[in-house]
Amino acid sequence: MTEQSDPLVTELDPVIHAQARLRVVSALSVLREDDRITFPQLQESLRMTAGNLSVHLRKLEEAGYVEVTKTHHGRTPATLVRLTRRGRLAFDDYTAALRALLNPET
Amino acid sequence: MTPIDDDASPLDPAESLALIERERANVGRDLSPDPRLMFWPWGIAWLVGFTLFFLRFGPDGRVFVDLPAWLPLAALALLMIAAGITTGIVGSRVSRRVMGPSNRQGAMYGISWSVAFTGFSVLFSQFSNVLPEEEAGLLWAGGMVALTGALYMAGAAIWNDRQMFILGAWTSLINIAGILIGPGWHSLIVGVAGGGGMIAAGLIGWLRLR
Repeated sequence: MTEQSDPLVTELDPVIHAQARLRVVSALSVLREDDRITFPQLQESLRMTAGNLSVHLRKLEEAGYVEVTKTHHGRTPATLVRLTRRGRLAFDDYTAALRALLNPET
Repeated sequence: MTPIDDDASPLDPAESLALIERERANVGRDLSPDPRLMFWPWGIAWLVGFTLFFLRFGPDGRVFVDLPAWLPLAALALLMIAAGITTGIVGSRVSRRVMGPSNRQGAMYGISWSVAFTGFSVLFSQFSNVLPEEEAGLLWAGGMVALTGALYMAGAAIWNDRQMFILGAWTSLINIAGILIGPGWHSLIVGVAGGGGMIAAGLIGWLRLR
């Protein structure tokens, strides 16, 4: 635990501050609102293992940042992922915070 | 609290912003069809097909190369069918990666092309036997190219894509110029400037995505 050591880090959203989850949220932020990406495609784009991606998606889901839905594509089951409004807001806040850290005067 | 369950340690702000941009560019590339595969098959079909038309059915009935009379139309039709299959496969493969409003939009746009071209074909076929061969050819080619230009401009409006709009406007303008100059020249202009425009659009789109 490093709360006391790095004041900058504590300002940033801990849910997406982890590098892997930041990558997931960044990838999902490309989707337009209400669009959902298939799990295998997200996995391929992020070059993560299915297990690893699932773990991070669960954490993001718990925070209300992503929504994971299971559906059927004909007869094959499909898992779809989208960024919630709350997740998009958190991502926008996070990038704004990063920019503010880089250019404190603006 | 900093997460302790992750493989990689947090980055500094500049690295984080770079990571975000890299990831977004990656996914953006994965979710849009390769512009080369979407534009080049059509560009080649127009370039080869219409150039053959020009060589066989030149201005004022001139024959620059004595090809069989059926060859230009057959070549153009085959190349366009091949292009349609290619872009259909590439487009649907990419659209299956996402579910939601944007692939419905894509499907509606794709259907618009088929419906509009069917409508024009039915209309023009009513005049094919009434008009002299040269004028009938100009009616078909000019009409289809006008439709292509209009649909590209409409697509540009849907996706707010300036480059696609330029391609549509360019295609429409060279078509009007070709129609006014007359049969024969129209084929050359559409083949070289129209087909060339599509090849350029595919190249520029690809370079931007890389």
